[in-house]
Amino acid sequence: MSTPVLSLHGVRKSFGPIEIIRGIALDVVPGERHAVIGPNGAGKSTLFHLISGQLTPTAGEILLDGLPIGGMPPHLVNRQGLARSFQITNIFPGLSVFENLRLAVMRRFGLEFVFWRRASRLKAVTHLVDELLAQVRLEKRAGVLASELSYSEQRSLEIGMTLASDPKVILLDEPMAGMSHEETEYTVGLIREITKGRTLLIVEHDMDVVFSLSDRISVLVYGQIIATGTPAEIRGNLAVREAYLGEEAS
Amino acid sequence: MRTKVLLLVLAVAALVAAPAVLSPGLVNASIQMLIAALFASAFSLLCGQAGMLSFGHSAYFGIGAFATIHAMNAFNGVGLLPTPLLPLMGGFMGLLSGIAAGWFATKRTGVYFSMITLALAELLHALAPHLKEVFGGEAGISAMRMPAWGFTFGSNVEVYYLTLFWVLLCLVLLYLYTLTPVGRLTLGLRENTHRLRFLGYNVHRLGVLVFAVSAMFSGVAGALQALNIEAANYVVLDMQLSASVVLNSYIGGVKVFLGPAIGAALMSFFGYAVSDLTRSWLLYQGVLFVLVMMFLPDGLVGEFAKRVREGRFGLGWERLSAGVLFVVALGFAIVGFVCMVELAQRFFSTDYRSMIVGTPWPPVTLFGREWLPFSAVTWGLPLGLMAVGLGLLNFASRRLDPERGGVS
Repeated sequence: MSTPVLSLHGVRKSFGPIEIIRGIALDVVPGERHAVIGPNGAGKSTLFHLISGQLTPTAGEILLDGLPIGGMPPHLVNRQGLARSFQITNIFPGLSVFENLRLAVMRRFGLEFVFWRRASRLKAVTHLVDELLAQVRLEKRAGVLASELSYSEQRSLEIGMTLASDPKVILLDEPMAGMSHEETEYTVGLIREITKGRTLLIVEHDMDVVFSLSDRISVLVYGQIIATGTPAEIRGNLAVREAYLGEEAS
Repeated sequence: MRTKVLLLVLAVAALVAAPAVLSPGLVNASIQMLIAALFASAFSLLCGQAGMLSFGHSAYFGIGAFATIHAMNAFNGVGLLPTPLLPLMGGFMGLLSGIAAGWFATKRTGVYFSMITLALAELLHALAPHLKEVFGGEAGISAMRMPAWGFTFGSNVEVYYLTLFWVLLCLVLLYLYTLTPVGRLTLGLRENTHRLRFLGYNVHRLGVLVFAVSAMFSGVAGALQALNIEAANYVVLDMQLSASVVLNSYIGGVKVFLGPAIGAALMSFFGYAVSDLTRSWLLYQGVLFVLVMMFLPDGLVGEFAKRVREGRFGLGWERLSAGVLFVVALGFAIVGFVCMVELAQRFFSTDYRSMIVGTPWPPVTLFGREWLPFSAVTWGLPLGLMAVGLGLLNFASRRLDPERGGVS
C-alpha cells in the first residue's frame, strides 16, 4: 500500500467531560474512495470538523501529506489541499451559480486582495469555472441564482465548489442526505465521475451508495473505528454486523 | 444597458449645469446632498455589499472632517496639500482609523459587530469634548479655505464643483471596486462567511479590508463637509449621523449600487425643504422610513430596479388610470396625516398652553384657516381625508397588482 495522503493517529476530542472522539487512527491512501459509516451520534461529523479545521483536536495528530494540520484554521487547511462539503447545503444563495464557482476558483489563483483587475476579464478563472460547470452538469444554469436551484442541483454546485481548489483530498459530508432515489443515483454517478484520480473521504448513511461507491470503508462506533476494510470484508465482519449493520438492516 | 448609460450621462450633465440655475441656498443644499450621497455609498459598501451593519459610521466621517480641518490650518492651503487635494487627508485618516476599528469589529459578526462599531463611535464621541487640542471642545475648530490652482474657493459655486468632482470620482472608484475580485468576494462575505472560510479565504483580513475602504470613503465625505463649512465640531461624531446614514441608505435601497446615494440625496433635500416649514420634520422622516421598510423593503431605487427587471411597467388605459388614482389617493392620505400632525403639534405646544385664559380655548391658525380645539371639523376633516385616502389606496393597489386580480 502506498503512503497515506491523509492519516490520523490517536485523535481525541472532548466537549467538556464528554469524549466524542476516543482515539482514532485512520489512513487514507491516494486515489481511493474511502467511506466512514456508523450509527447516529458515532462522531462522524465531529471527525470531519476536526480534519477540516472547524474544531481543534484535544489530543493526537492529523497529517495531510506528512504535514500536521490538526488545529490549523479552516482557510489554511484548505490551502494545504483539503476541501470539504457540508451536511447542510452551504453555498452563496444570493449569487449566481457562475459567481458561486468563481469565488471558489479565485482562491486557487491567489486572487484575494486584488482590486486592480476586473473579475470578468480573468480568462483563466472564467475558463476553469466553465470547466467546473460542465463537470457538475450545471452549464445551462450558470446565470441562475443559487437559491433558485433544485435541491440536488444545489448539492451538485457545492460539490463543484469543493473541486475548485483542485484539492488532494475531498471530504463530502452526507452528499445524498434528503435526496430522492433518482437524485441519489444521479449524484452517485456525478461523484464517481469527478473523483476519478482523486482521493475521497465520504460520510454517508445510504448503505447501497457506500458499498457500491467506496474502495474501503471504516466503521465508526462511539468515537472509535472498530473496523476498516474493503466492502466485502466489512460486510463479513461480525463485530460490524452486531454494532451497526444489524440495526440498519431491520 | 444603453438607456442606463444615457441616464447616467444626463444625470452628470444636470449636476454640472445645476449651479447655473439654482439659487445660492439651493447650491448649498446640493453640496450637502452630494456629501450625504457619498457618505451613504461608502457606508453601504460595508452594509449592503458585505452585509455588516455598522452603527458607528459617524466616527470615520468625523475623523475625516477633523483631519482635514487640522490639515487646512497646518498647510494653509499651500505646499503638499493645496485646497483641492485636502480630501486625500480625510480619506487617509479614515483609512487608518478604519483599519484599527475594523480589526476589532470584524472579529465578530451580526449583532455583535454592530454593537462594537456603536461602542467605538460612542467612545470617541464621549472622549472628544475632553481632548480640546484635537477636537476644539464646545466651540469646535475652524479653518480657512485658501485659494489654489487659480481658484479662490470663495463662492459656494466653486465649492460645489470641488465637491462634485470628488463625489463623482469616489462613486466611480466604489463602482469599479465592485467589479474586481475583492469586490466579488465582498458579496461572498455577505452571503456566506462560513463557506468563504472553507474555500481558503482569510475572512477576517477580508472584513478588515472592506471596513477600511468604507471608512476611507466616509473620511473623504467628512473632509468635503469640513471644506464646505470651514469648521468641524465634535457633534459630528454624534450617534444621530450614524443613524441617519443607516436610514438614508435603506430608504434608497442598500443592495443596488446607486440606491444609497439617491436615498441620501433625497432625504437630505427633504430635510432642507421641510425643516424650515415644520418642527415635526423628524417625525415625517421617521414615518417615511417605516413606510418604505414596510411596503418597499428593497428601498425606493431597489424596488424601481426590480420592477424594471421584471418589466412591470406595461402601460395601458386601465393601468394608467389605476396609477393616477393611486397617486391621488396617496395625496389625500398625506394631506390628512400632515393636517393631523400639525394640528396636534400646535395644540400640544407650550405656546398654545400660554394662550389659554379661561374658556373657550382659542383656535390655532393653519393653512390660512382657524381651527377650534373641540370642533368636529378640526379632527374630522383630516381623519376623513386620511380614511378616504387609505381606502382608495387599497383599491388602487389591488388594481395594480396582477396577483390580486388587478390588470397587468
